[in-house]
Amino acid sequence: MSGYTFRLKAPSAERLDLSALTPDNLAKLGNHEISSLKVGMGRTALAVGEAFDVSGSAGDTVTIDNAASGAILDFVGAGLTAGTIRVNGNVGAYAGRKMTGGKIEINGNAGNFLASCLSGGLIHVKGNAGNNLGGILAGDRFGMIGGIVVVEGNVGARTGDKMRRGTVIVRGKTGEAAGSRMIGGTIWAEGGFGPVPGLMMRRGTLIGSGVERLLPTFVDCGNHDLVIVRVLNRYLKKTLGDLAPKPMPLFVQRIAGDMSTIGKGEILLPAT
Amino acid sequence: MSIHNTIPGKDINGVFVDDTFAEAFGMSGTGIIITADTLKWAKIAAVTATGFGTSVIGCGAECGIDRELTPDETPDGRPGVRILIFGFSPDAIIGQVKNRIGQCVLTSPGSACYAGLEAPQQIGLGKAPRFFGDGFQTAKKLGDSRYWRVPVMDGEFVIEESTGVTTDAVGGGNLLIVGKDRAGLLETTEAAVDAIAKIDDVITPFPGGIVRSGSKVGTKYKGMFASTNDAFCPTLRGATKSELTPGTLAVLEIVIDGLTSARVAEAMRVGLKAVTDVGAKKGVTRVTAGNYGGKLGQHHYHLKDLI
Repeated sequence: MSGYTFRLKAPSAERLDLSALTPDNLAKLGNHEISSLKVGMGRTALAVGEAFDVSGSAGDTVTIDNAASGAILDFVGAGLTAGTIRVNGNVGAYAGRKMTGGKIEINGNAGNFLASCLSGGLIHVKGNAGNNLGGILAGDRFGMIGGIVVVEGNVGARTGDKMRRGTVIVRGKTGEAAGSRMIGGTIWAEGGFGPVPGLMMRRGTLIGSGVERLLPTFVDCGNHDLVIVRVLNRYLKKTLGDLAPKPMPLFVQRIAGDMSTIGKGEILLPAT
Repeated sequence: MSIHNTIPGKDINGVFVDDTFAEAFGMSGTGIIITADTLKWAKIAAVTATGFGTSVIGCGAECGIDRELTPDETPDGRPGVRILIFGFSPDAIIGQVKNRIGQCVLTSPGSACYAGLEAPQQIGLGKAPRFFGDGFQTAKKLGDSRYWRVPVMDGEFVIEESTGVTTDAVGGGNLLIVGKDRAGLLETTEAAVDAIAKIDDVITPFPGGIVRSGSKVGTKYKGMFASTNDAFCPTLRGATKSELTPGTLAVLEIVIDGLTSARVAEAMRVGLKAVTDVGAKKGVTRVTAGNYGGKLGQHHYHLKDLI
Protein backbone atom coordinates (compact mmCIF):
# COMPACT_ATOMS: atom_id res chain seq x y z
CA MET A 1 0.00 0.00 0.00
CA SER A 2 2.29 2.74 -1.24
CA GLY A 3 1.31 6.13 -2.53
CA TYR A 4 1.72 9.87 -2.25
CA THR A 5 1.10 11.84 0.93
CA PHE A 6 0.03 15.48 0.68
CA ARG A 7 0.54 17.32 3.95
CA LEU A 8 -1.34 20.61 4.10
CA LYS A 9 1.24 23.29 4.92
CA ALA A 10 -1.04 25.89 6.48
CA PRO A 11 -4.68 26.93 6.35
CA SER A 12 -5.19 28.21 2.84
CA ALA A 13 -6.96 31.44 2.08
CA GLU A 14 -8.46 30.08 -1.09
CA ARG A 15 -10.46 26.96 -1.73
CA LEU A 16 -8.61 24.12 -3.36
CA ASP A 17 -9.88 21.69 -6.01
CA LEU A 18 -8.23 18.34 -5.31
CA SER A 19 -9.98 16.32 -8.02
CA ALA A 20 -6.60 15.74 -9.73
CA LEU A 21 -5.14 13.98 -6.69
CA THR A 22 -6.39 10.46 -7.41
CA PRO A 23 -4.06 7.42 -7.45
CA ASP A 24 -4.54 6.63 -11.13
CA ASN A 25 -4.11 10.25 -12.21
CA LEU A 26 -0.98 10.76 -10.12
CA ALA A 27 0.55 7.57 -11.48
CA LYS A 28 0.76 9.24 -14.89
CA LEU A 29 2.68 12.25 -13.58
CA GLY A 30 6.24 12.92 -12.49
CA ASN A 31 7.09 14.62 -9.18
CA HIS A 32 7.59 18.01 -10.82
CA GLU A 33 4.31 17.78 -12.69
CA ILE A 34 2.50 16.89 -9.48
CA SER A 35 4.00 19.86 -7.63
CA SER A 36 2.99 22.13 -10.48
CA LEU A 37 -0.64 21.04 -10.63
CA LYS A 38 -2.89 24.03 -10.12
CA VAL A 39 -5.35 23.32 -7.36
CA GLY A 40 -6.25 26.79 -6.16
CA MET A 41 -9.67 28.03 -7.22
CA GLY A 42 -9.00 31.65 -6.26
CA ARG A 43 -7.14 34.51 -7.85
CA THR A 44 -3.69 33.18 -6.93
CA ALA A 45 -4.32 29.67 -8.31
CA LEU A 46 -2.10 27.82 -5.84
CA ALA A 47 -0.08 24.85 -7.10
CA VAL A 48 0.12 21.57 -5.22
CA GLY A 49 3.69 22.30 -4.16
CA GLU A 50 2.66 25.63 -2.63
CA ALA A 51 -0.20 24.20 -0.62
CA PHE A 52 1.22 20.82 0.36
CA ASP A 53 4.43 19.06 1.32
CA VAL A 54 4.47 16.10 -1.03
CA SER A 55 6.16 12.79 -0.18
CA GLY A 56 5.97 9.15 -1.27
CA SER A 57 5.63 7.65 -4.68
CA ALA A 58 2.90 6.46 -7.01
CA GLY A 59 0.69 3.75 -5.53
CA ASP A 60 -2.88 2.75 -4.88
CA THR A 61 -3.36 5.12 -1.94
CA VAL A 62 -3.32 8.89 -1.63
CA THR A 63 -3.12 10.39 1.86
CA ILE A 64 -4.05 13.96 2.65
CA ASP A 65 -2.58 14.84 6.00
CA ASN A 66 -2.82 17.67 8.53
CA ALA A 67 -6.22 18.64 7.18
CA ALA A 68 -7.79 19.99 10.36
CA SER A 69 -8.43 23.17 8.37
CA GLY A 70 -9.46 21.07 5.37
CA ALA A 71 -12.92 22.54 4.99
CA ILE A 72 -11.45 24.40 2.00
CA LEU A 73 -10.42 21.12 0.31
CA ASP A 74 -13.13 20.61 -2.30
CA PHE A 75 -13.65 17.79 -4.80
CA VAL A 76 -11.53 15.31 -2.81
CA GLY A 77 -11.72 12.01 -4.69
CA ALA A 78 -13.98 13.46 -7.38
CA GLY A 79 -14.04 11.04 -10.30
CA LEU A 80 -12.14 8.38 -8.35
CA THR A 81 -12.25 5.04 -10.17
CA ALA A 82 -10.02 2.81 -8.02
CA GLY A 83 -7.65 2.90 -5.08
CA THR A 84 -8.01 4.68 -1.76
CA ILE A 85 -7.93 8.30 -0.70
CA ARG A 86 -7.43 8.81 3.02
CA VAL A 87 -7.93 12.22 4.59
CA ASN A 88 -6.69 12.87 8.10
CA GLY A 89 -8.83 15.86 8.87
CA ASN A 90 -11.78 17.51 7.20
CA VAL A 91 -12.83 18.04 3.60
CA GLY A 92 -14.91 20.68 1.92
CA ALA A 93 -17.69 20.29 -0.61
CA TYR A 94 -18.16 17.76 -3.40
CA ALA A 95 -15.95 14.99 -1.97
CA GLY A 96 -16.41 11.84 -4.05
CA ARG A 97 -18.46 13.62 -6.71
CA LYS A 98 -19.04 11.34 -9.71
CA MET A 99 -16.79 8.71 -8.14
CA THR A 100 -17.23 5.31 -9.79
CA GLY A 101 -15.06 3.02 -7.65
CA GLY A 102 -12.44 2.80 -4.94
CA LYS A 103 -12.66 4.12 -1.42
CA ILE A 104 -12.49 7.46 0.36
CA GLU A 105 -11.83 7.50 4.10
CA ILE A 106 -12.38 10.84 5.78
CA ASN A 107 -11.17 10.92 9.38
CA GLY A 108 -13.05 14.10 10.07
CA ASN A 109 -16.05 15.96 8.71
CA ALA A 110 -17.26 16.37 5.14
CA GLY A 111 -18.91 19.43 3.65
CA ASN A 112 -21.93 19.80 1.40
CA PHE A 113 -22.65 17.62 -1.61
CA LEU A 114 -20.61 14.67 -0.37
CA ALA A 115 -21.01 11.76 -2.85
CA SER A 116 -22.89 13.90 -5.31
CA CYS A 117 -23.70 11.69 -8.33
CA LEU A 118 -21.67 8.83 -6.80
CA SER A 119 -22.06 5.68 -8.88
CA GLY A 120 -19.72 3.18 -7.20
CA GLY A 121 -17.23 2.59 -4.42
CA LEU A 122 -17.34 3.39 -0.72
CA ILE A 123 -17.06 6.66 1.17
CA HIS A 124 -16.56 6.45 4.91
CA VAL A 125 -16.80 9.63 6.99
CA LYS A 126 -15.82 9.39 10.65
CA GLY A 127 -17.42 12.72 11.55
CA ASN A 128 -20.44 14.60 10.23
CA ALA A 129 -21.45 15.49 6.69
CA GLY A 130 -23.16 18.60 5.36
CA ASN A 131 -26.25 19.22 3.30
CA ASN A 132 -27.24 17.47 0.07
CA LEU A 133 -25.26 14.30 0.67
CA GLY A 134 -25.61 12.27 -2.54
CA GLY A 135 -27.47 15.15 -4.12
CA ILE A 136 -27.41 16.84 -7.50
CA LEU A 137 -25.96 19.98 -8.95
CA ALA A 138 -27.54 22.05 -11.69
CA GLY A 139 -27.29 20.06 -14.91
CA ASP A 140 -27.23 16.66 -13.23
CA ARG A 141 -30.11 14.34 -14.00
CA PHE A 142 -29.85 12.24 -10.84
CA GLY A 143 -28.09 12.42 -7.50
CA MET A 144 -26.36 9.34 -6.19
CA ILE A 145 -26.76 6.40 -8.60
CA GLY A 146 -24.76 3.69 -6.83
CA GLY A 147 -22.08 3.00 -4.26
CA ILE A 148 -22.22 3.20 -0.49
CA VAL A 149 -21.70 6.10 1.91
CA VAL A 150 -21.24 5.57 5.64
CA VAL A 151 -21.30 8.61 7.92
CA GLU A 152 -20.57 7.97 11.58
CA GLY A 153 -22.03 11.27 12.75
CA ASN A 154 -24.98 13.38 11.65
CA VAL A 155 -25.80 14.69 8.19
CA GLY A 156 -27.43 17.88 7.01
CA ALA A 157 -30.60 18.59 5.07
CA ARG A 158 -31.84 16.95 1.88
CA THR A 159 -29.67 13.87 2.09
CA GLY A 160 -30.18 11.78 -1.06
CA ASP A 161 -31.90 14.52 -3.02
CA LYS A 162 -32.92 12.95 -6.37
CA MET A 163 -30.96 9.83 -5.41
CA ARG A 164 -31.65 6.91 -7.73
CA ARG A 165 -29.59 3.97 -6.44
CA GLY A 166 -27.01 3.12 -3.81
CA THR A 167 -27.00 3.11 -0.04
CA VAL A 168 -26.40 5.85 2.53
CA ILE A 169 -25.88 4.84 6.13
CA VAL A 170 -25.95 7.48 8.83
CA ARG A 171 -25.10 6.44 12.37
CA GLY A 172 -26.50 9.68 13.73
CA LYS A 173 -29.48 11.66 12.58
CA THR A 174 -30.37 13.26 9.27
CA GLY A 175 -31.41 16.84 8.81
CA GLU A 176 -34.74 17.79 7.34
CA ALA A 177 -36.13 16.36 4.10
CA ALA A 178 -33.85 13.33 3.79
CA GLY A 179 -34.73 11.49 0.61
CA SER A 180 -36.30 14.52 -1.01
CA ARG A 181 -37.29 13.83 -4.63
CA MET A 182 -35.75 10.37 -4.20
CA ILE A 183 -36.15 7.98 -7.15
CA GLY A 184 -34.58 4.89 -5.61
CA GLY A 185 -31.91 3.59 -3.29
CA THR A 186 -31.73 3.32 0.46
CA ILE A 187 -31.02 5.78 3.25
CA TRP A 188 -30.56 4.18 6.65
CA ALA A 189 -30.49 6.59 9.60
CA GLU A 190 -29.70 4.73 12.80
CA GLY A 191 -30.28 7.89 14.84
CA GLY A 192 -33.53 8.65 13.06
CA PHE A 193 -34.77 11.17 10.53
CA GLY A 194 -35.27 14.90 10.98
CA PRO A 195 -38.49 16.59 9.88
CA VAL A 196 -40.36 15.74 6.67
CA PRO A 197 -38.28 12.89 5.27
CA GLY A 198 -39.17 11.73 1.78
CA LEU A 199 -40.49 15.07 0.58
CA MET A 200 -41.69 14.40 -2.98
CA MET A 201 -39.99 11.01 -3.08
CA ARG A 202 -41.18 8.65 -5.83
CA ARG A 203 -39.46 5.40 -4.93
CA GLY A 204 -36.74 4.26 -2.56
CA THR A 205 -36.46 3.26 1.06
CA LEU A 206 -35.79 5.31 4.19
CA ILE A 207 -34.97 3.13 7.19
CA GLY A 208 -34.54 4.60 10.62
CA SER A 209 -35.14 4.36 14.33
CA GLY A 210 -37.71 7.15 14.23
CA VAL A 211 -38.98 10.26 12.50
CA GLU A 212 -39.15 13.75 13.98
CA ARG A 213 -42.17 14.79 11.91
CA LEU A 214 -43.88 12.97 9.06
CA LEU A 215 -45.38 14.62 6.05
CA PRO A 216 -49.17 14.27 5.86
CA THR A 217 -48.71 12.71 2.43
CA PHE A 218 -47.19 9.54 3.93
CA VAL A 219 -49.60 6.74 4.81
CA ASP A 220 -49.32 3.96 7.36
CA CYS A 221 -49.37 0.49 5.77
CA GLY A 222 -49.04 -1.41 9.04
CA ASN A 223 -46.44 -3.66 10.63
CA HIS A 224 -44.86 -6.36 8.46
CA ASP A 225 -42.11 -8.98 8.35
CA LEU A 226 -40.47 -7.91 5.09
CA VAL A 227 -38.13 -10.34 3.33
CA ILE A 228 -36.35 -7.42 1.66
CA VAL A 229 -35.24 -6.15 5.09
CA ARG A 230 -33.58 -9.52 5.69
CA VAL A 231 -31.89 -9.30 2.29
CA LEU A 232 -30.72 -5.76 3.01
CA ASN A 233 -29.40 -6.69 6.48
CA ARG A 234 -27.34 -9.53 5.06
CA TYR A 235 -26.11 -7.59 2.05
CA LEU A 236 -24.81 -4.76 4.22
CA LYS A 237 -23.17 -7.12 6.71
CA LYS A 238 -21.49 -9.01 3.89
CA THR A 239 -20.38 -5.85 2.06
CA LEU A 240 -19.45 -3.59 4.95
CA GLY A 241 -18.55 -5.94 7.81
CA ASP A 242 -18.18 -3.85 10.96
CA LEU A 243 -19.34 -0.71 9.16
CA ALA A 244 -22.79 -2.23 8.61
CA PRO A 245 -25.63 -0.80 10.66
CA LYS A 246 -27.17 -2.84 13.42
CA PRO A 247 -29.71 -5.13 11.71
CA MET A 248 -33.22 -3.79 11.54
CA PRO A 249 -35.80 -5.74 13.53
CA LEU A 250 -37.57 -8.15 11.19
CA PHE A 251 -40.94 -6.65 12.07
CA VAL A 252 -41.17 -3.10 10.73
CA GLN A 253 -43.78 -0.44 10.27
CA ARG A 254 -44.13 0.45 6.61
CA ILE A 255 -45.15 4.01 5.79
CA ALA A 256 -45.70 4.60 2.08
CA GLY A 257 -45.23 7.88 0.25
CA ASP A 258 -44.89 10.50 -0.95
CA MET A 259 -48.51 10.14 -2.06
CA SER A 260 -48.29 13.57 -3.66
CA THR A 261 -46.19 11.80 -6.31
CA ILE A 262 -46.52 8.14 -7.33
CA GLY A 263 -46.18 7.00 -3.70
CA LYS A 264 -43.94 4.01 -4.30
CA GLY A 265 -41.38 5.08 -1.74
CA GLU A 266 -41.41 3.96 1.87
CA ILE A 267 -40.22 4.75 5.35
CA LEU A 268 -39.50 1.69 7.49
CA LEU A 269 -39.44 2.08 11.25
CA PRO A 270 -39.22 -0.50 14.03
CA ALA A 271 -42.72 -1.89 14.55
CA THR A 272 -44.57 -0.30 17.42
CA MET B 1 -13.16 -61.20 -17.46
CA SER B 2 -16.74 -61.54 -18.62
CA ILE B 3 -20.02 -62.69 -17.22
CA HIS B 4 -20.75 -64.78 -20.29
CA ASN B 5 -17.48 -64.49 -22.14
CA THR B 6 -18.77 -61.88 -24.57
CA ILE B 7 -18.90 -58.64 -22.58
CA PRO B 8 -15.57 -57.17 -21.49
CA GLY B 9 -15.50 -55.73 -18.02
CA LYS B 10 -14.41 -56.18 -14.45
CA ASP B 11 -15.88 -57.74 -11.33
CA ILE B 12 -16.07 -55.34 -8.39
CA ASN B 13 -17.28 -56.86 -5.11
CA GLY B 14 -19.37 -59.37 -7.03
CA VAL B 15 -20.93 -56.77 -9.35
CA PHE B 16 -19.81 -56.91 -12.97
CA VAL B 17 -18.92 -53.48 -14.39
CA ASP B 18 -19.01 -53.41 -18.17
CA ASP B 19 -16.11 -51.89 -20.07
CA THR B 20 -18.33 -49.34 -21.75
CA PHE B 21 -19.17 -45.67 -21.48
CA ALA B 22 -22.03 -43.30 -20.89
CA GLU B 23 -22.57 -40.87 -23.71
CA ALA B 24 -23.81 -37.43 -22.68
CA PHE B 25 -24.65 -34.19 -24.40
CA GLY B 26 -23.76 -30.55 -23.98
CA MET B 27 -26.62 -28.57 -22.48
CA SER B 28 -27.33 -25.21 -20.93
CA GLY B 29 -28.10 -25.01 -17.24
CA THR B 30 -29.14 -22.51 -14.61
CA GLY B 31 -29.42 -22.46 -10.84
CA ILE B 32 -32.12 -20.84 -8.71
CA ILE B 33 -32.35 -20.49 -4.93
CA ILE B 34 -35.81 -20.76 -3.42
CA THR B 35 -36.33 -19.78 0.22
CA ALA B 36 -39.33 -19.75 2.50
CA ASP B 37 -40.21 -19.32 6.15
CA THR B 38 -39.49 -23.01 6.74
CA LEU B 39 -37.48 -25.63 4.88
CA LYS B 40 -40.71 -27.55 4.41
CA TRP B 41 -42.24 -24.74 2.36
CA ALA B 42 -39.04 -24.04 0.44
CA LYS B 43 -39.02 -27.70 -0.57
CA ILE B 44 -42.70 -27.64 -1.50
CA ALA B 45 -42.06 -24.70 -3.83
CA ALA B 46 -38.94 -26.36 -5.24
CA VAL B 47 -40.59 -29.72 -5.80
CA THR B 48 -43.51 -28.03 -7.54
CA ALA B 49 -41.26 -25.86 -9.71
CA THR B 50 -39.16 -28.82 -10.80
CA GLY B 51 -42.11 -31.10 -11.46
CA PHE B 52 -42.69 -32.47 -14.94
CA GLY B 53 -39.03 -31.90 -15.66
CA THR B 54 -37.64 -35.34 -16.40
CA SER B 55 -36.69 -35.16 -20.05
CA VAL B 56 -36.01 -32.12 -22.16
CA ILE B 57 -37.69 -33.85 -25.12
CA GLY B 58 -41.13 -34.09 -23.58
CA CYS B 59 -40.98 -31.60 -20.73
CA GLY B 60 -39.03 -28.74 -22.23
CA ALA B 61 -36.47 -28.88 -19.47
CA GLU B 62 -34.79 -31.26 -17.07
CA CYS B 63 -35.11 -30.04 -13.51
CA GLY B 64 -34.35 -31.11 -10.01
CA ILE B 65 -33.29 -30.13 -6.54
CA ASP B 66 -29.53 -29.81 -6.22
CA ARG B 67 -29.38 -29.43 -2.46
CA GLU B 68 -30.86 -27.89 0.65
CA LEU B 69 -29.35 -24.63 1.88
CA THR B 70 -28.87 -23.52 5.46
CA PRO B 71 -30.02 -20.02 6.43
CA ASP B 72 -26.37 -18.90 6.31
CA GLU B 73 -26.21 -19.78 2.62
CA THR B 74 -29.26 -17.86 1.42
CA PRO B 75 -29.54 -14.15 0.60
CA ASP B 76 -32.37 -13.63 3.10
CA GLY B 77 -31.15 -15.82 5.95
CA ARG B 78 -34.07 -18.24 5.69
CA PRO B 79 -33.87 -21.94 4.87
CA GLY B 80 -33.79 -22.69 1.19
CA VAL B 81 -33.26 -25.06 -1.67
CA ARG B 82 -31.21 -24.75 -4.82
CA ILE B 83 -32.80 -26.08 -7.97
CA LEU B 84 -31.16 -26.63 -11.34
CA ILE B 85 -32.89 -26.35 -14.71
CA PHE B 86 -31.31 -27.70 -17.89
CA GLY B 87 -32.33 -27.13 -21.49
CA PHE B 88 -30.99 -27.20 -25.00
CA SER B 89 -30.00 -23.52 -24.94
CA PRO B 90 -30.23 -20.43 -22.71
CA ASP B 91 -33.15 -19.22 -24.81
CA ALA B 92 -34.97 -22.50 -24.24
CA ILE B 93 -34.49 -22.17 -20.49
CA ILE B 94 -35.88 -18.63 -20.32
CA GLY B 95 -39.45 -19.69 -21.00
CA GLN B 96 -39.21 -22.62 -18.62
CA VAL B 97 -37.93 -20.39 -15.81
CA LYS B 98 -40.65 -17.84 -16.44
CA ASN B 99 -43.45 -20.41 -16.30
CA ARG B 100 -42.12 -22.56 -13.49
CA ILE B 101 -41.25 -19.64 -11.21
CA GLY B 102 -44.39 -17.73 -12.11
CA GLN B 103 -46.74 -20.63 -11.51
CA CYS B 104 -45.01 -22.62 -8.80
CA VAL B 105 -42.82 -20.32 -6.68
CA LEU B 106 -44.64 -16.99 -6.85
CA THR B 107 -47.75 -18.84 -5.72
CA SER B 108 -46.13 -20.72 -2.83
CA PRO B 109 -46.62 -19.22 0.67
CA GLY B 110 -43.71 -17.20 2.01
CA SER B 111 -41.44 -17.96 -0.90
CA ALA B 112 -38.62 -15.86 -2.33
CA CYS B 113 -36.39 -16.55 -5.28
CA TYR B 114 -32.75 -15.67 -5.96
CA ALA B 115 -29.97 -16.30 -8.45
CA GLY B 116 -28.40 -19.69 -7.84
CA LEU B 117 -25.58 -19.60 -10.34
CA GLU B 118 -22.85 -17.02 -10.86
CA ALA B 119 -22.00 -16.86 -14.55
CA PRO B 120 -21.18 -14.14 -17.07
CA GLN B 121 -24.28 -14.92 -19.12
CA GLN B 122 -27.54 -14.01 -17.42
CA ILE B 123 -31.17 -14.87 -18.05
CA GLY B 124 -34.28 -13.31 -16.60
CA LEU B 125 -35.56 -14.67 -13.31
CA GLY B 126 -37.86 -11.98 -11.97
CA LYS B 127 -38.11 -10.03 -15.19
CA ALA B 128 -41.47 -11.54 -16.08
CA PRO B 129 -42.99 -12.52 -12.70
CA ARG B 130 -42.58 -8.96 -11.44
CA PHE B 131 -45.39 -7.81 -13.70
CA PHE B 132 -47.78 -9.75 -11.50
CA GLY B 133 -47.42 -6.71 -9.25
CA ASP B 134 -49.61 -4.69 -11.63
CA GLY B 135 -47.53 -1.58 -11.13
CA PHE B 136 -47.26 -1.91 -7.35
CA GLN B 137 -43.96 -3.81 -7.67
CA THR B 138 -40.78 -1.99 -6.70
CA ALA B 139 -37.11 -2.79 -7.23
CA LYS B 140 -34.19 -2.60 -4.84
CA LYS B 141 -30.71 -2.74 -6.30
CA LEU B 142 -28.05 -3.89 -3.86
CA GLY B 143 -24.55 -4.18 -5.30
CA ASP B 144 -24.84 -5.91 -8.63
CA SER B 145 -28.18 -7.55 -7.83
CA ARG B 146 -31.62 -6.10 -8.42
CA TYR B 147 -34.44 -7.52 -6.32
CA TRP B 148 -38.10 -7.12 -7.21
CA ARG B 149 -40.69 -6.84 -4.49
CA VAL B 150 -44.08 -7.98 -5.70
CA PRO B 151 -46.98 -7.37 -3.30
CA VAL B 152 -48.92 -10.60 -2.70
CA MET B 153 -51.58 -11.65 -0.22
CA ASP B 154 -49.13 -12.92 2.42
CA GLY B 155 -46.75 -9.98 2.15
CA GLU B 156 -44.19 -9.56 -0.59
CA PHE B 157 -42.72 -11.98 -3.10
CA VAL B 158 -39.04 -11.05 -3.42
CA ILE B 159 -37.33 -12.23 -6.58
CA GLU B 160 -33.92 -11.38 -8.01
CA GLU B 161 -34.06 -9.96 -11.51
CA SER B 162 -31.70 -12.43 -13.19
CA THR B 163 -29.62 -15.53 -12.65
CA GLY B 164 -26.60 -17.02 -14.35
CA VAL B 165 -26.74 -19.57 -17.14
CA THR B 166 -23.95 -21.76 -18.40
CA THR B 167 -23.56 -23.49 -21.74
CA ASP B 168 -20.94 -25.84 -20.28
CA ALA B 169 -23.57 -28.03 -18.68
CA VAL B 170 -23.89 -31.73 -19.47
CA GLY B 171 -27.04 -33.78 -19.71
CA GLY B 172 -27.38 -37.52 -19.92
CA GLY B 173 -24.66 -38.97 -17.76
CA ASN B 174 -26.04 -42.39 -16.85
CA LEU B 175 -25.67 -45.71 -15.10
CA LEU B 176 -27.68 -48.80 -16.01
CA ILE B 177 -27.96 -51.10 -13.03
CA VAL B 178 -28.90 -54.69 -13.68
CA GLY B 179 -30.25 -57.14 -11.11
CA LYS B 180 -31.89 -60.45 -10.47
CA ASP B 181 -34.03 -59.16 -7.58
CA ARG B 182 -36.33 -56.21 -8.20
CA ALA B 183 -36.61 -55.08 -4.59
CA GLY B 184 -32.87 -55.33 -4.00
CA LEU B 185 -32.14 -53.59 -7.27
CA LEU B 186 -34.42 -50.69 -6.37
CA GLU B 187 -32.89 -50.43 -2.90
CA THR B 188 -29.38 -50.37 -4.36
CA THR B 189 -30.28 -47.82 -7.01
CA GLU B 190 -31.87 -45.63 -4.35
CA ALA B 191 -28.59 -45.80 -2.42
CA ALA B 192 -26.74 -44.67 -5.55
CA VAL B 193 -29.16 -41.76 -6.03
CA ASP B 194 -28.64 -40.77 -2.39
CA ALA B 195 -24.88 -40.81 -2.92
CA ILE B 196 -25.19 -38.69 -6.07
CA ALA B 197 -27.42 -36.22 -4.21
CA LYS B 198 -24.45 -35.33 -2.03
CA ILE B 199 -22.58 -34.01 -5.08
CA ASP B 200 -23.19 -30.31 -5.75
CA ASP B 201 -24.19 -28.98 -9.15
CA VAL B 202 -25.88 -32.17 -10.35
CA ILE B 203 -29.42 -33.49 -10.43
CA THR B 204 -31.06 -36.79 -11.24
CA PRO B 205 -34.20 -35.49 -12.94
CA PHE B 206 -36.33 -38.63 -13.17
CA PRO B 207 -38.84 -39.77 -10.50
CA GLY B 208 -36.86 -40.34 -7.34
CA GLY B 209 -33.79 -40.06 -9.53
CA ILE B 210 -34.51 -43.39 -11.23
CA VAL B 211 -35.69 -44.33 -14.73
CA ARG B 212 -37.31 -47.69 -15.41
CA SER B 213 -38.11 -46.93 -19.04
CA GLY B 214 -34.76 -46.43 -20.68
CA SER B 215 -35.11 -45.46 -24.31
CA LYS B 216 -33.36 -46.00 -27.57
CA VAL B 217 -33.25 -43.50 -30.41
CA GLY B 218 -35.86 -44.20 -33.09
CA THR B 219 -39.05 -46.19 -33.38
CA LYS B 220 -41.14 -47.98 -35.92
CA TYR B 221 -43.91 -45.39 -35.47
CA LYS B 222 -44.10 -42.04 -37.20
CA GLY B 223 -44.02 -38.94 -35.02
CA MET B 224 -41.95 -40.42 -32.23
CA PHE B 225 -38.27 -39.88 -31.61
CA ALA B 226 -37.55 -42.54 -29.03
CA SER B 227 -38.96 -45.85 -27.90
CA THR B 228 -38.36 -48.55 -25.34
CA ASN B 229 -34.83 -49.84 -25.08
CA ASP B 230 -35.80 -53.41 -26.02
CA ALA B 231 -32.22 -54.66 -25.67
CA PHE B 232 -32.52 -53.98 -21.93
CA CYS B 233 -36.10 -55.18 -21.43
CA PRO B 234 -35.87 -58.47 -19.48
CA THR B 235 -39.20 -59.76 -20.73
CA LEU B 236 -37.92 -59.55 -24.33
CA ARG B 237 -34.69 -61.39 -23.54
CA GLY B 238 -35.42 -64.23 -25.89
CA ALA B 239 -37.39 -62.26 -28.45
CA THR B 240 -35.00 -59.45 -29.38
CA LYS B 241 -31.30 -58.83 -29.66
CA SER B 242 -30.91 -58.59 -25.91
CA GLU B 243 -28.04 -57.12 -23.97
CA LEU B 244 -29.11 -58.99 -20.88
CA THR B 245 -27.72 -62.18 -19.47
CA PRO B 246 -29.85 -65.08 -18.24
CA GLY B 247 -31.31 -64.53 -14.80
CA THR B 248 -31.72 -60.77 -15.21
CA LEU B 249 -35.04 -59.66 -13.78
CA ALA B 250 -34.88 -55.86 -14.06
CA VAL B 251 -32.77 -52.89 -15.11
CA LEU B 252 -32.93 -49.42 -13.60
CA GLU B 253 -31.19 -46.34 -14.93
CA ILE B 254 -29.92 -43.22 -13.23
CA VAL B 255 -29.67 -40.18 -15.50
CA ILE B 256 -27.43 -37.36 -14.33
CA ASP B 257 -27.37 -33.72 -15.45
CA GLY B 258 -24.67 -31.39 -14.18
CA LEU B 259 -23.43 -27.86 -14.55
CA THR B 260 -19.99 -29.14 -15.58
CA SER B 261 -18.63 -32.35 -17.07
CA ALA B 262 -16.38 -32.87 -14.05
CA ARG B 263 -19.38 -32.84 -11.70
CA VAL B 264 -21.22 -35.38 -13.83
CA ALA B 265 -18.17 -37.65 -13.78
CA GLU B 266 -17.90 -37.30 -10.01
CA ALA B 267 -21.60 -38.07 -9.60
CA MET B 268 -21.27 -41.19 -11.75
CA ARG B 269 -18.22 -42.24 -9.74
CA VAL B 270 -20.00 -42.05 -6.36
CA GLY B 271 -23.10 -43.67 -7.83
CA LEU B 272 -21.08 -46.55 -9.20
CA LYS B 273 -19.28 -46.97 -5.90
CA ALA B 274 -22.57 -47.07 -4.00
CA VAL B 275 -23.79 -49.84 -6.30
CA THR B 276 -20.64 -51.93 -6.12
CA ASP B 277 -20.34 -51.48 -2.35
CA VAL B 278 -23.66 -53.13 -1.50
CA GLY B 279 -25.16 -54.33 -4.76
CA ALA B 280 -24.05 -57.96 -4.79
CA LYS B 281 -25.88 -58.70 -1.53
CA LYS B 282 -29.04 -57.14 -2.96
CA GLY B 283 -29.10 -59.12 -6.15
CA VAL B 284 -27.37 -56.58 -8.37
CA THR B 285 -25.33 -58.43 -10.97
CA ARG B 286 -24.03 -55.81 -13.32
CA VAL B 287 -23.57 -52.11 -14.09
CA THR B 288 -23.41 -50.80 -17.62
CA ALA B 289 -24.07 -47.48 -19.32
CA GLY B 290 -26.03 -46.12 -22.26
CA ASN B 291 -24.40 -44.78 -25.35
CA TYR B 292 -24.99 -44.31 -29.06
CA GLY B 293 -21.69 -45.69 -30.23
CA GLY B 294 -19.96 -42.46 -29.32
CA LYS B 295 -21.21 -40.64 -32.39
CA LEU B 296 -23.87 -38.36 -30.93
CA GLY B 297 -22.75 -37.05 -27.55
CA GLN B 298 -19.76 -34.83 -26.90
CA HIS B 299 -19.08 -36.30 -23.46
CA HIS B 300 -18.02 -39.92 -22.84
CA TYR B 301 -17.71 -41.29 -19.33
CA HIS B 302 -15.95 -44.67 -19.32
CA LEU B 303 -16.97 -46.79 -16.36
CA LYS B 304 -13.46 -48.25 -16.01
CA ASP B 305 -12.20 -44.70 -15.34
CA LEU B 306 -14.76 -44.23 -12.57
CA ILE B 307 -14.00 -47.36 -10.56
